[in-house]
Amino acid sequence: MMTYIVSILSIVFVVSFAGFSSKPSPIYGGLVLIVSGGVGCGIVLSFGGSFLGLMVFLIYLGGMLVVFGYTTAMATEQYPEVWLSNKAVLGAFIVGLLSELLAVCYILKDDEAEVVFKFNGMGDWVIYDTGDSGFFSEEAMGIAALYSYGTWLVIVTGWSLLIGVLVIMEVTRGN
Amino acid sequence: MKPAILITITSTVVLGTMIVLFSSHWFMIWVGFEMNMLAIIPILMKKYNPRAMEASTKYFLTQATASMLLMLSIIINLLCSGHWTVSTIPNPVASTMITIALTMKLGLSPFHFWVPEVTQGISLSSGMILLTWQKIAPLSILYQISPSVNSNLLLMMAITSMLVGGWGGLNQTQLRKILAYSSITHMGWMAAIMVYNPTLAILNLTIYIMMTLGTFMLFMHSSSTTTLSLSYTWNKFPLMAPLILMLMLSLGGLPPLSGFIPKWMIIQELTKNDMIIMPTLMAITALLNLYFYTRLTYTTALTMFPATNNMKMKWQFETTKKTTLLAPLIVTSTMLLPLTPMLAALD
Repeated sequence: MMTYIVSILSIVFVVSFAGFSSKPSPIYGGLVLIVSGGVGCGIVLSFGGSFLGLMVFLIYLGGMLVVFGYTTAMATEQYPEVWLSNKAVLGAFIVGLLSELLAVCYILKDDEAEVVFKFNGMGDWVIYDTGDSGFFSEEAMGIAALYSYGTWLVIVTGWSLLIGVLVIMEVTRGN
Repeated sequence: MKPAILITITSTVVLGTMIVLFSSHWFMIWVGFEMNMLAIIPILMKKYNPRAMEASTKYFLTQATASMLLMLSIIINLLCSGHWTVSTIPNPVASTMITIALTMKLGLSPFHFWVPEVTQGISLSSGMILLTWQKIAPLSILYQISPSVNSNLLLMMAITSMLVGGWGGLNQTQLRKILAYSSITHMGWMAAIMVYNPTLAILNLTIYIMMTLGTFMLFMHSSSTTTLSLSYTWNKFPLMAPLILMLMLSLGGLPPLSGFIPKWMIIQELTKNDMIIMPTLMAITALLNLYFYTRLTYTTALTMFPATNNMKMKWQFETTKKTTLLAPLIVTSTMLLPLTPMLAALD
C-alpha cells in the first residue's frame, strides 16, 4: 500500500477538487476543502517535506479555513445546497469526475503520453523523482534559503498580505 | 478613504508595477501583477454605488483569470527550460499562454469585453489610472518576451482589436466608453508592432499615455462624462475647447500632431518587413477611430450644441480645481512631431 500512497492521496485530492468546484453551499465546500487540504498535506509529507506539510495543517486548515468556516456559519442560509439536492451541482460534480476519469484513461491507454510534458507510464504516478537530492532535505534547505537569499521575497509577500487585509477592509467598508 | 490608507494603497499599485518592471524572476513578476491588481480594487471602488462594485468585480475576475494563466505558463516554461529567468520562451505552448494572459490584462480583442464596462462604472480619475498606468506592466513583459511571441496570434489580436475599438466606439456618447474603445485600438497598434520592433511599441505607449492623461484631466476639470456635458465647454471653460480639439485629433493620429508619430513609425516598420496588406488595413481602421474623435471635437469646439437658454449665459467663476501638469501634457501630446528623429534613439 505504501507504494501507492501518493497515487491514492492524489486521487482523493483530485476528486475533492471536483467536489468543491461543483459549487455546493460554502459550508460543504469548506468541508471538502478541509479534506483536500489534509490530503495535500499528506502528499507533501510523502515527499519528505514534513515542515511544510505541518505548516499547511496549522496555517491553512487551522487558521484560514477556521475563519472561513466561522464566516460561512454566520452567513448561512436555511437550506444549504448539497451535492444531491440540486441537479446542477450534481451534474457539475459528475462532469468533473468523468472528465478526470477520461484524462486518466487517455493517458493510460498508450502507457505514454505527451500533452505538454512527457509522461512515461504508471511509474511516473507512483514515484516522481527529479534527481539526486543530496544529503540535506531539500525542503528544509528551501525554507532556510527563504530567510537568507530570499529576503526580498519575504518582504514582498509580507507587504502583499498586509495590503490584502487593507484592501478587504476598504472594500467592505461600504460608506 | 482615509489619507493614510490611500497613500498605502496607491504606493502598492506603483510598487506592484515596479516589481513587474524590475524583476528577472518569473515568480516575482506574477507577485507584482497580483499586488497591482489587489491594490487597485479599492481605487476602482472609490464611490460606493453598485455600478462601481460591479465594475471592480469584473476587473478583478478578468485580471485574476489572466494571472492564473500566467502562473500556469510560467510553470510550463519552468518544466521545459529549467530556469525562472525572463528571457525568450522556447516552448510554444508556454509562449502562447503567456501572450494570451498578457493580452487579457491589456484588454486586447478577443478579451476586450471588460474594458468599456469597467471604465464606464468607475470615476474619471480611477479610469485614468486604469487606462494608463495599468498598461505599463503587461507591455513591459511582452517587450521582454517579444522574440518568442507567436506573431500570427499577436497580429490577429491586433487587427481585431483595431476593428473592435473602431466600430465599438462609433455609437457611444459616454466619454469613458469612448476612451475605453480608444484604449483597445491603441493597444492593438502596440501589439501589431511588438513582434517586429518592440521599441516602437514603447514609443506608442509613451505617447498614448501622455495623450490619454491629458484627455482625462481635461474631462475631470469640467467633470464631464457625456458628450452633451462636453458640449457646454465653450461656455464653462472657453480655453478648454481648442485644447480638446487638439488632443482628440492627436488621439486620432493626424499629422502634424504627435499622435501621428507612432502610427507613422509603425506603418514604416511594418512595410520594412514586407507587409503591405496589414498596415493598409490598420490605416483604414484608424479612420473609424478618427470619426468619433472628430465628432467629439465637432460638438465641443466647432458648433454650439442645442442647449437651453440659460446655459448660454453663465457666471464665469474663477476655477478652483488644480490643473496639475495639464499644460506640459497637452504640449507634449500635440507638438512632438518635429522631434521624431530623436525618438529613434529610444533603442
